[in-house]
Amino acid sequence: MSNGQVSDRIVLDNVSRFYGEVLGVNRVTLSVPPGITSLVGPNGSGKTTLMNLITGLVRPTRGSIQVLGISPSDPEKLFRVCAYATQFDSFPRGMTGFQFIYSYLRLSGMSHDDCQRTTAFAIGRVNLGDAAHRKIAGYSKGMRQRIKLAQAIAHDPRVLVLDEPLNGLDPLVRAETIALFREFAAEGRHVIVSSHILHEVDTISDQVILLSNGYVVAEGQIRGVREEMSEHPMQVIIRCTRASVLASRVFEQDHVVEVRLHADGGGLLVKTRDADRFYRALNHLALDGVGIESVAPADDNVNSLYEYLIGGEESTR
Amino acid sequence: MISQWLSQIGLVIRLEMRKTFFSRRGLWVYLLALAPVLIFLGHSLSEISNRKERQAMNAAHPVSTETLRSIQRGATLEEVVEKVGQPFAKMEFHRPRASFDIYQYTDGESVYVFGFQNDRLENIDRRDRDTIPKDSLIFASVFQFFYLRLAIFFGCVGVFTNLFRGEMLDKSLHFYLLTPIRREILTVGKFLAGLIATVTIFCTSTFLQLAALSLHFTGSEISEYLAGPGWGHVASYLGVTAAACLGYGSIFLAAGLLFKNPIIPAATVLVWEGMNMFLPAALKKVSVIFYLQSLSPVVAPPDATLPAFQRLLLTSAEPVSGAWAVLGLITLTVVVLAVAARKARKLEINYSTD
Ligand SMILES: Nc1ncnc2c1ncn2[C@@H]1O[C@H](COP(=O)(O)OP(=O)(O)OP(=O)(O)O)[C@@H](O)[C@H]1O
Ligand SMILES: [Mg+2]
Repeated sequence: MSNGQVSDRIVLDNVSRFYGEVLGVNRVTLSVPPGITSLVGPNGSGKTTLMNLITGLVRPTRGSIQVLGISPSDPEKLFRVCAYATQFDSFPRGMTGFQFIYSYLRLSGMSHDDCQRTTAFAIGRVNLGDAAHRKIAGYSKGMRQRIKLAQAIAHDPRVLVLDEPLNGLDPLVRAETIALFREFAAEGRHVIVSSHILHEVDTISDQVILLSNGYVVAEGQIRGVREEMSEHPMQVIIRCTRASVLASRVFEQDHVVEVRLHADGGGLLVKTRDADRFYRALNHLALDGVGIESVAPADDNVNSLYEYLIGGEESTR
Repeated sequence: MISQWLSQIGLVIRLEMRKTFFSRRGLWVYLLALAPVLIFLGHSLSEISNRKERQAMNAAHPVSTETLRSIQRGATLEEVVEKVGQPFAKMEFHRPRASFDIYQYTDGESVYVFGFQNDRLENIDRRDRDTIPKDSLIFASVFQFFYLRLAIFFGCVGVFTNLFRGEMLDKSLHFYLLTPIRREILTVGKFLAGLIATVTIFCTSTFLQLAALSLHFTGSEISEYLAGPGWGHVASYLGVTAAACLGYGSIFLAAGLLFKNPIIPAATVLVWEGMNMFLPAALKKVSVIFYLQSLSPVVAPPDATLPAFQRLLLTSAEPVSGAWAVLGLITLTVVVLAVAARKARKLEINYSTD
């Protein structure tokens, strides 16, 4: 039925999910090819919801999802090819790392011996061999992250979904983990990771999906996303005296795309492609005779999200 | 396919087993199950010590059963003492116009209390030690009133509602939902795990209760009973115990999936089962207790020696035949499990809001 092209993709068709009144994700349409894909967005933007939808832990309110041609409501098929390490930092009581992976792996129908071997191999791959037979309750945060990762990779899935997998890892382990993602991706598998910090994942990702308030706001290779961002100019609202004078000066700047005077004449809206240069220029432009009362970014656009995401301390205030 | 499902069910049972059997949270289930064993053990021990006491009294004041039975009302105190000797206990009350004397004798088995007024025997009270028919009625009322309706009931609430709900509270249910196993298979596996655990716990307790209760009977009394209806009763009680776990288990597994707080469905079912006897016949059949009572071996007591409310409990169902009761209970269980499996299929992981 489905051709080869479609069946190695994760396809979401107009997927929405509401929690009662609350929006989880809205009208998401994606076709994700193999490779490392990062879901990036601030807290509450819908990353976890999207991952839960892909793995059938929650059901879409509208729309349909196919993971390599398999519906997420068919766990019997889906979890032969897919694995999901959730953001929950909780484990079954009283189990050691080894027992934990082994017990659930057995459910996939592997024999006892295969299962033991596979479990040991997976634990070795995340360098937890020494702690394998200790209770998970005594693991550190980073170890718990790694045992979750080991569980996810144990049955050699073609689709690996990992919610904030780098959280709590020290730089060395982080590098090892990223190397593992690359290995998986190099074999033509899907590795889907989430993060709320773009620069944490942009260099390792083959594609990035930017989420904000439940919407996919940008999607594609990181370079493409960057360009898309710069095409969406940054908006700044300025309240000042002699607004028309300032407007004409501002408009002479080559990075300014558009200037609009407020109807009351007491301010203006500026769209610029380079916010940093604009702020620097503003100090000179406003020198004589223009009294600036306030300068504020108009918040609700993609660019400010992007600024936030690549964020860090040096972003404009 | 089927063999894969069966092996998955087996694996789920194994995984669940350690959680249900060996969890500290489940300790109270054992206590609940063992409470009646302690009650019957206490009863037996007190019967045994009473009996020893009577035998010691009889040795000190020897008198035969026939002689004691031959005493008739109207005899004088002197005549009685001449026939049976001095009592092991005696009480006297003297009033201006009348004197009362109470003499107690024993043949080592029963205690005979003779009440004299003005030296004439007015009243004979014989206290026999408990017989098997009497104790089996005591057992029947404890079994039906306490054990089925409360102990097994709440034991099943604890074990079965937690099969899913407990893992939601632990935030570990998703590990199951992320394995290649159908939710229906998971439901069946968890149910069977709970069933094995509760049947083991409660059937062991039923057996221990019967054993504890029989401690104070003599070997010959017991073998006579077992040669008669005895083994049949034991088997029926074990069967009813298992059937109760089956019926209540399925209901509370479903309740754990359908409700956030198990107290509400538990209370509802408790009330529903409690008023079962007042329901019209058609509604009676939508309950577990109806079938359990139909299957119970000891029914109404033959005479009015039991308090009225106990008789009401023991006679409350117009029983259907054993085969129909089993069929009815299994139908009920399958229907409830189907509802649970359907709910499990639609289950979402929403730990934060649960
Ligand atoms: N079970 C739920 N019930 C109600 N609302 C929910 C539920 N789960 C998520 N939401 C809402 O859906 C939106 C998206 O949440 P989601 O957890 O997907 O965000 P996220 O991007 O993973 O955030 P974070 O970075 O904090 O993990 C949020 O507004 C959140 O409040
Ligand atoms: Mg999240």
